[in-house]
Amino acid sequence: MKNRKILIAVILVFLVSLCLSVFILRHSDKQTVEIVQDGELLYTFDLNGAEDKDIRISAPDGSYNLVQIQNGTICISEADCPDQTCVSMGVLKSDYLPIVCLPHKLIVRFAEDEP
Amino acid sequence: MNIRRLTELALLSSVALIIFIVELQIPNPFPVPGVKLGLANIVTVYAVFRYRPSETALIVTVRLLLGAIFSGNPSALLYSAAGAIACLCGMLLLRHILPEKQIWLCSVIGAMLHNIGQITAAIIIMQSIGVIAYLPILLVTGSLAGAFTGLCTQLVLHRIKR
Repeated sequence: MKNRKILIAVILVFLVSLCLSVFILRHSDKQTVEIVQDGELLYTFDLNGAEDKDIRISAPDGSYNLVQIQNGTICISEADCPDQTCVSMGVLKSDYLPIVCLPHKLIVRFAEDEP
Repeated sequence: MNIRRLTELALLSSVALIIFIVELQIPNPFPVPGVKLGLANIVTVYAVFRYRPSETALIVTVRLLLGAIFSGNPSALLYSAAGAIACLCGMLLLRHILPEKQIWLCSVIGAMLHNIGQITAAIIIMQSIGVIAYLPILLVTGSLAGAFTGLCTQLVLHRIKR
């Protein structure tokens, strides 16, 4: 009987997080993105009208990230950190999951649309 | 601890380490940091059910430290250590409650605890609560991976009689 309770609890947690995941991974309908480094806002873009370009963002210690804007999407295409998590995260899609580069304290995220 | 026991533990640790390193070579279909299959945990779950808690902890510690060195990513050690401690405590408690037929359930709960530990460590290290948005995704993929490794362990336990 005790086992069944554990089983039900596990299934419940699973379903709740499944729903939350779907919610979190939903594509954002916002168009404004901002690039923040070490708490300081560096750039703000409107992805809708942005032309394709690469932006090189250097950290104070000389390391860098290459932010790529292409066809109205934004991603980090290159970084010289060892873990490369920001590169493998791919294109920015969700409101809740910004692209983060931990070693360089860099965040690429959606901003509130300007009214 | 006699020599036989020591050799078995060393053997299990190296098996876990080999699985861990082979798994690193498999490309990850989910580009979310922290998501992985965790095949090396087959050994952990096996050890939980066949060895004493202290011995299991030894295996996991060796695998974590050497794994961090071999994968060349020691900064991930803090996250995985926090996850492993939470996971191990949970599974060692559950070992007495669940029968051998439900090892997969034990493994799923272990995986969930692992993810919760990871995220807690990330929140503390990054000092930002926003990381918690990863938790549901990790819980879903983690419990699927946990069920898989748990079933593998059940097969292994069935084949290797004491």
